[in-house]
Amino acid sequence: MEKAKDFYEKHKLIVYLILFAVSLVVPFVIEQALILRYICTIMMYATLAGSLNVINGYSGQTCLGQAGFFCIGAYTCAALTKNFGVSFWIVLPLAGILAALVGLLVSLPTLKLSGIYLSIVTLGASEIIRIIAQTWTPVTGGALGIKQIPYPNLFGLELFRPKYYYFIFLIIGVLFLFITSRVLRSRVGRAWMAIREDQVAAKSLGVETSRCKCTNFMYGAFWAGIIGAAYAPFVNYIESSQFTTDTGFNVLAMVVIGGQGTLLGPIIGSAIVTILTETLRFLENWRYVIYAIIIILMMWVRPQGLLGASDSILAGGKIRRKEKEQGGKKA
Amino acid sequence: MIDFSQIDTNVPMLESKGLCKYFGGLKAVDNVDMKIMPGDIFGIIGPNGAGKTTFFNMCTGMYTPTKGNVYLMGEDVTGLSAERVARKKMARTFQNLQLFKFMSVLDNVKIGCHIGTKTNMVDSIFHTKRYKQDEEYVVHKSEEILRAIGLYEYRDTMAGNLAYGMQRKVEIARALALEPYILLLDEPAAGMNPQEKEELMEFIKMLNDGGYTIAVIEHDMKFVMNSCNRILVLNFGQKICEGTPDQVKSDKQVHEAYFGKGIIAGEAVKVHG
Amino acid sequence: MEYFLNQLVNGLCQGAIYALMAIGYSVIVGVVGMVTFTYGEIMMIGAFSAYYIFQAFGNNLPLAILAAFTGSFVIGIIVYKLCYEKFFNAPRHISLLCTIGISMLIKNLAQIVFGPETKPVLDIIENRTFTIMLGSVRLDIKLLQIVVILLVIVLAGTLTLFFNKTKWGIALRAVSQNKDAAYLMGINVKRTALIGNCIGSGLGGVAGILLSIYYYSVSATMGGAYSMKAFAASVLGGLVDIRFSALGGLCIGIIENLGIAVSAATFRDVFAFGFLILVLLIRPQGFVSKKGVRV
Repeated sequence: MEKAKDFYEKHKLIVYLILFAVSLVVPFVIEQALILRYICTIMMYATLAGSLNVINGYSGQTCLGQAGFFCIGAYTCAALTKNFGVSFWIVLPLAGILAALVGLLVSLPTLKLSGIYLSIVTLGASEIIRIIAQTWTPVTGGALGIKQIPYPNLFGLELFRPKYYYFIFLIIGVLFLFITSRVLRSRVGRAWMAIREDQVAAKSLGVETSRCKCTNFMYGAFWAGIIGAAYAPFVNYIESSQFTTDTGFNVLAMVVIGGQGTLLGPIIGSAIVTILTETLRFLENWRYVIYAIIIILMMWVRPQGLLGASDSILAGGKIRRKEKEQGGKKA
Repeated sequence: MIDFSQIDTNVPMLESKGLCKYFGGLKAVDNVDMKIMPGDIFGIIGPNGAGKTTFFNMCTGMYTPTKGNVYLMGEDVTGLSAERVARKKMARTFQNLQLFKFMSVLDNVKIGCHIGTKTNMVDSIFHTKRYKQDEEYVVHKSEEILRAIGLYEYRDTMAGNLAYGMQRKVEIARALALEPYILLLDEPAAGMNPQEKEELMEFIKMLNDGGYTIAVIEHDMKFVMNSCNRILVLNFGQKICEGTPDQVKSDKQVHEAYFGKGIIAGEAVKVHG
Repeated sequence: MEYFLNQLVNGLCQGAIYALMAIGYSVIVGVVGMVTFTYGEIMMIGAFSAYYIFQAFGNNLPLAILAAFTGSFVIGIIVYKLCYEKFFNAPRHISLLCTIGISMLIKNLAQIVFGPETKPVLDIIENRTFTIMLGSVRLDIKLLQIVVILLVIVLAGTLTLFFNKTKWGIALRAVSQNKDAAYLMGINVKRTALIGNCIGSGLGGVAGILLSIYYYSVSATMGGAYSMKAFAASVLGGLVDIRFSALGGLCIGIIENLGIAVSAATFRDVFAFGFLILVLLIRPQGFVSKKGVRV
């Protein structure tokens, strides 16, 4: 682990070039459409989990409603491209903005209350969004959902093969990582982390906690909306049951398994969870039993996730105390 | 550096008028008037539970006063939220250390520069000129403060791993990054050994010489009597005395309430010293 | 008018079940101080315990209730050991994710063990309808509804007595108000939290059997939707206050049914959650005056 980090620090450019080359080659090497679809799913969930991680891992708010924002993005895209023939490329940012606005609405009432209420309201909001999608038949197709969502069109080329989606999700994912890492390394990201670490202290330093939480929330919702919009033509058929709270929990599990508060964690998490649930399909319900056991084991053994640092506020009190003792000895 | 020349030295830096805070039936702070002039090192003393920290919390906007007003440089800041008050150039530290324990010392101080910078999300994404200027300013400022306070070599250490006295210093460094006119220190010397205390006292005096107005809550009598030029004494939420150290030392009420009957302040200082 | 009144009665009955769910939920949240997502599965286990009692011993309602309570009680112990005991001082998301994991575990194991199909629960209570004439308005009340409402009232009453009169109950209340202070008073916080969690779970189990009787069916996946209702109801009540949670459950039940009366049955959940959001917007801490749990 340490060695890998050192290597990365030394040869940043080479690492990026190799990754770039590999990611370009992948869709041409892998012939089976099914496997490529899995990879697309992983990349999609990686971005979705990443967007949740911005909220949960960096500003320390426990959001449980990411499925709701995802749902908004997907339905915005489906409804607009199918009913009004709007271009996918216009819809993509639009879906993000819409999701961000809803995110703002959701976060506003909870700002003055303790964190637990934010979790509750986000969960409730996610459920309401799903129910609206289920009942607002003229726009969302009601319980039947929206079928045959038009494929995106790029200069006359209809993007319907998994290969194309591979690149769509890749570009969105890389953009997300790039932009997020920049935001996190700036004043905005520092303010988010200050809120996560100690809200009272952050306030005393002039950090407008309410506004920062709002922007943080909107930022997370924005990317969830965008990835939702890309998801709709990818699966070609959406219905409200794809966006239940269980979907939200699934995404949360990816973030936590991978490691909250790290950029790479959600990617690893989504890869593990997706590979697990997809390759073990033949086990039917047993695969969820295995998944559940992994989640519980993970929380017992490594609550900070695979990539999370043990000396973090997200890692838990037990470790924190241990760290302190060690720190005391060192000093 | 901070431009202190704009401060009107005739207007009190921080003033409270009839400030009250009641928690149900408990009068934590009751009708306290206080005036801190620019350039003061102002000590606030009183026995445990006298309402000192509550008083601080009201001044900095952490609590809303039940009654009364707070003025910062002549401006009414009563009821403003803590972050708004901080923007008006008042910084504080906490009695029970509210550091960002899991972040490096440098990052702690960098967050202190929040209000001095204006980068927004768009700037940070496109690395605009403002972003670059801000980052340069933040790094420069933080390192300058850390050097001044003597924590530069610990800049990459996780704040929670430092010794207690050091953590206190980090908190002061973080508060200084706000570029405040007035600094409110809540028991800055608690948990420090005598030598560290001495150093801290020197440092506070140095800050004061540099133009900062300082208000400090402290239990160490020697510290307060020797460094402060004005002192406010609280007991059971009420002000019993405000004046120079000599005035406080000779005040009968202070003796009875604070030092106990029979001991006079001068002796208390000798005993502690 | 007549239709509305009948819907009101339906709402009252459904609200009573929701109230019981909410009471159990808020007891759990109160004593462990963390949100739980296993509640739906706990209710499902309760319902299935009762279902198998009905299969084995015929329509013996008291025995079934006892079985439901015990079954959920035992699950409560497991949940407590796995999700809460170690994590009282840890960040919130750890126990939260544990409960999500347990919920997934129980739900899928139940589908494997009990089978995925919906099972009928018929004729537990005689299908008889009482008709009351209020002037010209005809009011139909089913025996089932009366039994449900009475049961809930009796259980809530017992619980209130337990909380106010017994040593255990007082300890539970102390723990749910302030764990540190309770600890200093010599209360065994962990054991009390365990008992509280199990009692809450047991009540959830009873609510589960009432649901299965009310809807004449039981299935392994029934938990999800109702746990959201329990959750919503106790949020309305400020999460930890039992009386207000019960009131919240009642409100949701009535509003749902009145809402259906003016629209269509598919909008049921829209009304429940719309009401929740509305209340949260105006009064985010719910009905209760305090700020709820500080978690």
